[in-house]
Amino acid sequence: MAANMYRVGDCVYFETSPKSPYQIRRIEELNKTASGNVEAKVMCFYRRRDLPNPLIQLADKHQMAQSEDSPVAMKLKKICLKTPIGEEQAAQAVLDPALVAMEEESTELPGTDGLAPKQRHQAKHRELFLSRHVETLPATHIRGKCTVTLLNETESLLSYLNKDDAFFYCLVFDPSQKTLLADKGEIRVGSRYQTEVTNLLKEGEDDPRTSEDLETLVWTPEHGLTDRQIDQFLVVSRSVGTFARALDCSSSVKQPSLHMSAAAASRDITLFHAMDTLHKSGYSIESALSSLVPASGPVLCRDEMEEWSASEANLFEEALDKYGKDFADIRQDFLPWKTLKNLVEYYYMWKTTDRYVQQKRVKAVEAESKLKQVYIPNYNKPNQALITSNSNTGGGKAGAVLNGGTNGTAAMSAAQLCASCQVTNANQWYAWGPEHLQYRLCGSCWQYWKKYGGLKTATVFGESEAEGAKGPRGEGEDAALSVSHRPHRCTVLNCAKEFKLRAHLARHVATAHGGGEGARPVMKTRAAFYLRASPFTRLARRLSRALRRPRHYARSPFSPINLAQVKHECSIAMAGLGGAEMRAGGAGGAAAAGGVARARGAVGAVATRLAAARGAPVAAARAHDWLLLTPRDRMPAPAHVAFPKPPKAPDGSLMYERVASRAEIEARRAEPAPAPAPAPPLKRRAYDDINGLDRVGAPRESVAAPPPAKRPNKHPAPMQRPSREQYAAMCARAQATGQPLPAHVFAHVNGKPTNITGRGGRRHVISWMDAPDDLYFRATEAAKSARRTLSCGELRRGARAPWRAMRGGGAAATGGAGAGAGVGGKAAGAGAGAGAGAAAAPPLQLVILD
Amino acid sequence: MAMQPHSKKRVCYYYDSDIGNYYYGQGHPMKPHRIRMTHNLLLNYGLYRKMEIYRPHKATADEMTKFHSDDYIRFLRSIRPDNMSEYNKQMQRFNVGEDCPVFDGLYEFCQLSAGGSVAAAVKLNKQASEICINWGGGLHHAKKSEASGFCYVNDIVLGILELLKYHQRVLYIDIDVHHGDGVEEAFYTTDRVMTVSFHKYGEYFPGTGDLRDIGAGKGKYYAVNIPLRDGMDDESYESIFVPIISKVMETFQPSAVVLQCGADSLTGDRLGCFNLTVRGHGRCVELVKRFGLPFLLVGGGGYTIRNVSRCWTYETSVALGVEIANELPYNDYFEYFGPDFKLHISPSNMSNQNTPEYLEKIKNRLFENLRMLPHAPGVQVQAIPEDAVNDESEDEDKIDKDERLPQSEKDKRITGDGELSDSEDEGEGGRRDNRSYRAPQRKRPRLDKDGSQIKDEIKTEDIKDDVKNVSSVEEPKKEVPPNP
Repeated sequence: MAANMYRVGDCVYFETSPKSPYQIRRIEELNKTASGNVEAKVMCFYRRRDLPNPLIQLADKHQMAQSEDSPVAMKLKKICLKTPIGEEQAAQAVLDPALVAMEEESTELPGTDGLAPKQRHQAKHRELFLSRHVETLPATHIRGKCTVTLLNETESLLSYLNKDDAFFYCLVFDPSQKTLLADKGEIRVGSRYQTEVTNLLKEGEDDPRTSEDLETLVWTPEHGLTDRQIDQFLVVSRSVGTFARALDCSSSVKQPSLHMSAAAASRDITLFHAMDTLHKSGYSIESALSSLVPASGPVLCRDEMEEWSASEANLFEEALDKYGKDFADIRQDFLPWKTLKNLVEYYYMWKTTDRYVQQKRVKAVEAESKLKQVYIPNYNKPNQALITSNSNTGGGKAGAVLNGGTNGTAAMSAAQLCASCQVTNANQWYAWGPEHLQYRLCGSCWQYWKKYGGLKTATVFGESEAEGAKGPRGEGEDAALSVSHRPHRCTVLNCAKEFKLRAHLARHVATAHGGGEGARPVMKTRAAFYLRASPFTRLARRLSRALRRPRHYARSPFSPINLAQVKHECSIAMAGLGGAEMRAGGAGGAAAAGGVARARGAVGAVATRLAAARGAPVAAARAHDWLLLTPRDRMPAPAHVAFPKPPKAPDGSLMYERVASRAEIEARRAEPAPAPAPAPPLKRRAYDDINGLDRVGAPRESVAAPPPAKRPNKHPAPMQRPSREQYAAMCARAQATGQPLPAHVFAHVNGKPTNITGRGGRRHVISWMDAPDDLYFRATEAAKSARRTLSCGELRRGARAPWRAMRGGGAAATGGAGAGAGVGGKAAGAGAGAGAGAAAAPPLQLVILD
Repeated sequence: MAMQPHSKKRVCYYYDSDIGNYYYGQGHPMKPHRIRMTHNLLLNYGLYRKMEIYRPHKATADEMTKFHSDDYIRFLRSIRPDNMSEYNKQMQRFNVGEDCPVFDGLYEFCQLSAGGSVAAAVKLNKQASEICINWGGGLHHAKKSEASGFCYVNDIVLGILELLKYHQRVLYIDIDVHHGDGVEEAFYTTDRVMTVSFHKYGEYFPGTGDLRDIGAGKGKYYAVNIPLRDGMDDESYESIFVPIISKVMETFQPSAVVLQCGADSLTGDRLGCFNLTVRGHGRCVELVKRFGLPFLLVGGGGYTIRNVSRCWTYETSVALGVEIANELPYNDYFEYFGPDFKLHISPSNMSNQNTPEYLEKIKNRLFENLRMLPHAPGVQVQAIPEDAVNDESEDEDKIDKDERLPQSEKDKRITGDGELSDSEDEGEGGRRDNRSYRAPQRKRPRLDKDGSQIKDEIKTEDIKDDVKNVSSVEEPKKEVPPNP
């Protein structure tokens, strides 16, 4: 049972969430709460996966610096000891050319030489980072013991890999400052620290030191007395002491019995005095005896314990209660006639008394809430992620369970593999990773994942995906079909350079594209994304049976899609297709597999048919000319196109023009002939491009609209800054719905609109990174029914002016419903666009833009 | 280097009856009273009458400035609890405040502690004694101009400096659970003093003592650090102590030894995290004593005071070569030793994180370093002769470490059922029930354990800022408190 006894000081696994790996903590305290539960105060160890990426890289470099002694390594050592980590600072740290150079080299822990790649991979799971962060967790969440030791350079990492539950650490992580420290002190060298070493005395040189100046002899064993004689003398001195107490009035009050006097006379002070006396009398028992009983009467030696009166003792206890062991204060306020030394001596003797023992017992009861160890039985409940075999024996049902039965129609072979070790047979399966990816792990890999926070192998499914699973909104602009490496691409037009590290991108932006608006950190809103449907994605949408219900997915972007199944189906279907066909399928958009439009005939014909079915006279049919559709070319063209459609690129996509900032325009004017570069359609565009208020709303069906006017001096639309009333309404709505006010509202209200700087109202281009926080609206049943009570006009108005409280709509249509309708209206528009794309997308978020 | 039998030696013992009554302050784990408790035990065990007992003089400022800087000693001499406010700046500079508080009689305490070690060293120099003991000394963290880890004046360095007048090479061994950084730093660049420290390393005060710290300049390879992990037990300790010390003796060939007997490496120490018993701790004294060199024993850490006094009493008996009973004699502090009232303590069942492989690797690495030492000139390496007296401890030596212990040995290690478990402290302060090895935090001033230390953190922040102002390109180690 010792295995289940957890003591203070043990390193243990804590399970705080069923799906994520255990957390590793060291028990600092165990406290029993009033309700009888045990809480553990624990100190946190962090895994590599818990640290920000730049820090990990610096940590690795630190390791390297430790193992090598090159000058660069030495430099690194210094830098890495304290690593700044705000994104900008990280960029700075990497700016150091030496560091950049190092980066290209492989960064491995020391002692990894001679390790197989797999072992090297696993060794990373054994590295922890100590922190000083302390938290309190319920002890029942403990899931076992582990050991964490400081890695010693003599050890090889193999010794950790070969042992279960063994971890090591090298560095200390400060979660609040985001810094790493080497857990190491320093012996300083210099004349300020070292001593001047005395020289050996030369021949004949005199040592000025003599022992006589330095010490006083108090006792020497060269006394010629036997042990027995000394013992006898000690007994005599004690008897003298007892007799002295009998004669002494104050003592006889304190020690009413002879026993007590004898005990008092046997205290060490009497013995020490006796030894001193013996020494002073030259170890002559005779003269020592006479000095014990001088003319003034028998010698009485009393220590503090005896010296103190009962009332003083009471005062002391009272004071101790009040001040604790602050003897200076006690002396000042309670016992000014005693010296501090008296108090200290008395205190340590007082602790041997019954009174202290009683007090201690009281304290012990109080301290009972603090435990030294706790017994936690093995935890046997199945993990939530365990895939129960209530369906068929085939593992493919994992998908079905996961997906709530929405689309798990077929058992797919791909889903049967363990994502880590690729086995197909296992007693237990656990769902792992983001739900939509539908990976699963076999029992042993699951245990590994829980304990070490990684997969046994770093093969097919990169760690990055697992990392993506950490946050609910994994940053995944194209996490669609197995992307393990995602470069960081510059967002500036016509640049699109790619970088491995965000920090590098930041540096690139700062240097290549100048300061200005680019000076802001690059990754403010990580969650903003748009779906880029690659030709393959589009093809997959058509080929895959799992995506048979695109409209459903468009409406509920949060419901997961069985990606493995999609992959599988595609791979089967594509196997039979030639390149050309695929291209046709992808680009043409109307592949044979897609839904074939049913030929229903013209409206007039349909009406006639319907009328015939009802028994109306067939002859009348021809009279309904108004039922015939006006041919498009004869449709009346509006005098003014409010939102003209941009021209089309050769590949059929719309070309939007980037709205330039004033600075750019001026720069462009200065240039002789700016070549109008068509925006590559597949490039990530700045927000205001796709978001131009004057463009998005353009009717898609309108044809041959004149190209949009160049309006470089476009002023911000009035909507962008809510009026006071609008703001009030927004606040009211936010209160009613319980939703926080979107961040951009504040941005406006505070007088610092994100896209207006300075007094001149100069317009800046906001990069998509700087976009306001995202929001997506999920219509609840209540919202939907409320929406139904609204008229079409009201809905539309709401969609256009989402901050405005809804009028009418009956009692049910409260502010919340209004908001629902408003945002929902917008959502519908965006959803239609993104709907088909939902096929391969992670849970979509509708981006509210203004 | 011939070892001598477990024999009776002339032992000098330094003690001042005042030393027990200095008080570091409320809740401070360092309690000089343990020295007095030891003294009383020695008297009642009858060891007192077998040694020369000296009251040391109070070391003068002149003596202390042999190592320490003048302004630091001047500061120590003038600071008092009632004039602290006038010395704010200097207190920061000299690291006096939290861990090393200003208390009444601070300077006197330092004088007595240093006076004892210096007098003992002189005694050894005059060959007036073979073994000197100063339990009031051993304050191994004190730096040249800085207090640290409850230590203000480094009596050990002062003692060694005295020894160096007569001894070409002096060996310093430190079995405190904390690294002996003050002594190591003082002699980091000299080849005349070798410092050997066995200590817990890793997230522990003072943060120094890495295996790779081996000395600098002429002193390269003359600092030996044995970094250990939690839970060292008697057996593991001896398995690393014996080979290292033998090798050091063989290669360095000192003519005098100083052993710092910090008792915080005992099991159940309030600040320590080892699992040594009094016997295992005393074994180190025994082993060093066998080399028969002039031998200075000093105290050091030790924060579960009943065990400290047990330990140092036992070690005094070892130095004297006298057997003492396991039953403790009655004394003024008898109640402290309840409920078993025995001299020896049993180890706890904490796990030992020092695997034999780990210790083996450490040992091999250190041997490699020691091989770099030039052999002391003119002295032949001799085979160590068998000891003449075949006493009990010799049997222990002969036992193969890999074999099971014979029953007789096992019996020796068994302690009575009634023996008190170790972890309960003296009932002081709120922290006494805490697991002892959280304690480094006590010794680490800049840790945010309680309010007072947070205050200190603010102060150190200020210092850091100052540093930054002076030079912006500062080595990180200086900006960041180097403690772990």
